[in-house]
Amino acid sequence: MKTTRAALTVLALLTLVATASAFERVGDKKILVFAGRQEVPTIDPSIKYDWSIRMMQQALYDGLVKYVGNPPEIQPWLAERWDVSADAKTWTFYLARNARFTNGDPVTAEAVRWSFARTLKLNQGPAWMLSDFLKEDGIKVVNDHTIQFTLTQSYAPFLSFVPWWYVMNPREVMAHEQSGDLGQKWLTENAAGSGPFKIKRWQQGVLYEIEAVDNYWKGWPSKDHVGGVILKLVRESAAQRAALQRGEADIVEGLSADDYEVVGKLPGIVVPNYPGMTTFGLKMNTQKAPTSDANLRKAIVHAFDYDAFVKIYNGNAVLQTSPFPNATRGHVAVPGFPRQDLAKAKEFLAKSAYPGGGVELEYVYVQGLEEERKMGLVLIDNLGKLNLKVKLVPLTWPNMVARGSKVDTSPDMLAVFTTPVSTDPDAVAYQYHKNSWGKYYGSSFYNNADVFGLIERARTLARWEERAPLYAEIQKRIAADAPELFGMMSNRRWGMRDHVKGFVFSPVRLTGEVDLYPLSISAR
Amino acid sequence: MLVGLLCLTFAISHVMPGDPARLAAGPDANQSMVDTLRAKYGLDRPLGVQFARYVGGLARGDLGESLRSRNAVRDDLLRYFPNTFELVTLALLLAVALGVPLGMLSAVYRDTWVDHWTRVVSVSGVALPAFWLGLMLQLLLALHLGWLPLGGRLGLTATPPAPITHLLFVDALLRGEWRTLGDALAHAVLPVVTLCFPALASILRVNRAEMLDTLGQDYIKTARAQGFSGFRVVTRYALRNAMIPTLTMIGLRYGWMLGGTILVETVFDWPGIGLYAVNAAVSSDFQPIMGVTLLIGLNFMLANLLVDLAYGWLDPRIRRRAT
Repeated sequence: MKTTRAALTVLALLTLVATASAFERVGDKKILVFAGRQEVPTIDPSIKYDWSIRMMQQALYDGLVKYVGNPPEIQPWLAERWDVSADAKTWTFYLARNARFTNGDPVTAEAVRWSFARTLKLNQGPAWMLSDFLKEDGIKVVNDHTIQFTLTQSYAPFLSFVPWWYVMNPREVMAHEQSGDLGQKWLTENAAGSGPFKIKRWQQGVLYEIEAVDNYWKGWPSKDHVGGVILKLVRESAAQRAALQRGEADIVEGLSADDYEVVGKLPGIVVPNYPGMTTFGLKMNTQKAPTSDANLRKAIVHAFDYDAFVKIYNGNAVLQTSPFPNATRGHVAVPGFPRQDLAKAKEFLAKSAYPGGGVELEYVYVQGLEEERKMGLVLIDNLGKLNLKVKLVPLTWPNMVARGSKVDTSPDMLAVFTTPVSTDPDAVAYQYHKNSWGKYYGSSFYNNADVFGLIERARTLARWEERAPLYAEIQKRIAADAPELFGMMSNRRWGMRDHVKGFVFSPVRLTGEVDLYPLSISAR
Repeated sequence: MLVGLLCLTFAISHVMPGDPARLAAGPDANQSMVDTLRAKYGLDRPLGVQFARYVGGLARGDLGESLRSRNAVRDDLLRYFPNTFELVTLALLLAVALGVPLGMLSAVYRDTWVDHWTRVVSVSGVALPAFWLGLMLQLLLALHLGWLPLGGRLGLTATPPAPITHLLFVDALLRGEWRTLGDALAHAVLPVVTLCFPALASILRVNRAEMLDTLGQDYIKTARAQGFSGFRVVTRYALRNAMIPTLTMIGLRYGWMLGGTILVETVFDWPGIGLYAVNAAVSSDFQPIMGVTLLIGLNFMLANLLVDLAYGWLDPRIRRRAT
């Protein structure tokens, strides 16, 4: 009897401890809980970015400008305004005079110079975006509140990458420098920014908690803004869903298409659903047989049932109408963009070196990614009608990247999701340039000197009126060469408790990434 | 043995496909950025030089740096291993505490309902995948009944005690933080039970088989004939002898559990080395893979040493042979 009573007491205690509320409260602050699957191994703005890293970087740091809204617009942030020379070579930014780092230090032009120089010097993370055009000696402090960038050549897309170059407090970083590492070790789990949040707890592999900076220099969009955010790692989809249902999480990301359907119907949960910029396509090796045969590639892209893409995502996807995502500046719907047309497919096959089919094609996709496997099954069915066999090869991501990095090993078809980091068309066009060979999105080894010339010319022109027709031409030419089965853009979705307000979607953010700054909690 | 393990792990991790520098540099990185990282981490050096540098580092207690987390592997292991150690130790203790008596009862009451039920437990424990069992327990006890937390080691707003041993339960005890201890225990119930179940089944089955064999021995019959009580015969004479193979099983299980917690850690977001190792493996991050392998190997050897010592304690013949 005593034992039973003791057991019941322990159980009651455990139940009490486990009781959860919809969101956490610390004093009078409402703390939003975000259940995400992906860790934040470092938050150093010069070292790395992916969706979870950048979500926290954006919360802890400010850039000179910021992408906001849908369609994404570049808005002034640390810089109140900017000028650009007629040749798009010299860019001058005028800083907000009231901008302050979290520790109270003013944000100066020298801090901006130091931050850009640090990222260039370390040559990691976002460095690739500007390092071909910006050298350390091209960054000049005009005065405390004016900074000037002189590029090595005209580069119109410059501004579109600046939002991802965050400004750090050099005084604070250098105070923690170890053995000349420019503060790398310290900045892995500490921040020295001017953003709307500061770090409260950083339990690697468990959770990351940031708290709102009450006197944020730019102010807050809502008086009910969140008092802080806990990014809790919940790695299993079923557990994420359960956390949302049980009210232990306010926002979850990365659920399966079917899970979103289910949670969207539950009371108290909403599913924001927006077209994203992440494209899904099958990169075909254009330099190795059999897919080096352009007619075979064209047969494949005309045999595929594109509606299947949309069905796999339960209707929450839109088909590509160009090699560029819809939200990219200068996107044009390419006339005659491939859709399923078996007669046309057979026509192209007849013109190819494999008129009777009889070839086996390798379809490589990410192991465990159910949607990609389903697409492979559709491919088997569709290409079977052309007497083309498809072999599904699931691989881990590192193995896929390794296979796609060389012409000899790159598979016939590689299933790839690609998210451009900028709305400028150069960010997508350059993926088809030979300098992208070896990267996962360059695994087609697409080779068209005319297109390369157009891409190189378009990126150095200053006037959009001159650039736009070039990008229209680039889109048409790439589509005509069919280096890829251009697929779809699946919608970005989150599961969210309905007391979360202020969510602002912007397709240029990475999958899963949410701008935490405008969020508020309406519940009492 | 450790040296062999070290060579093998180094060789395997370096012949795996995938360019760790490219993966660490990120999908958009250009060749110059990849080369920068390759040079920084010495990946541009010949394999022999890399191995010599790694072994030299090991001698100084330096396990290298993770390309993914950019932290010293030693610091990462110190952060994650105590969590796995606590999970595995608790699960194994529970498995032994339940498995040995159940195995004994099953043998003593052979072919009765007690035996049938324990066999159901043992077959289920072997047959049910830990991943599925964990999810089911989570859905039932955490989501639907709300009795236990879904995952993690502590509640969202709870702060772990200042580290003394880096073992959460021990530190909470030592610091007298009872609320934290209760919270940690609540969070441990589901993962411990999930991890314990297959081990319990194995221990139960081995113990039952050994007990059946031992109970049929002449010296047991003699003891019974001499009028010793059934309880004394079973617990003092039979169990002690039946425990030797069971102990071997416990030692093997411990090593297996240390390296096999990944599924349980994933389901319950338990921040242990299983998850750390898998994240490292999918990023071709060699140093953490080698660090984890060495650590698990070391623990496996220690566990088996303890088992060997326990043989002597259980069986005087082994003790005498050793002396």
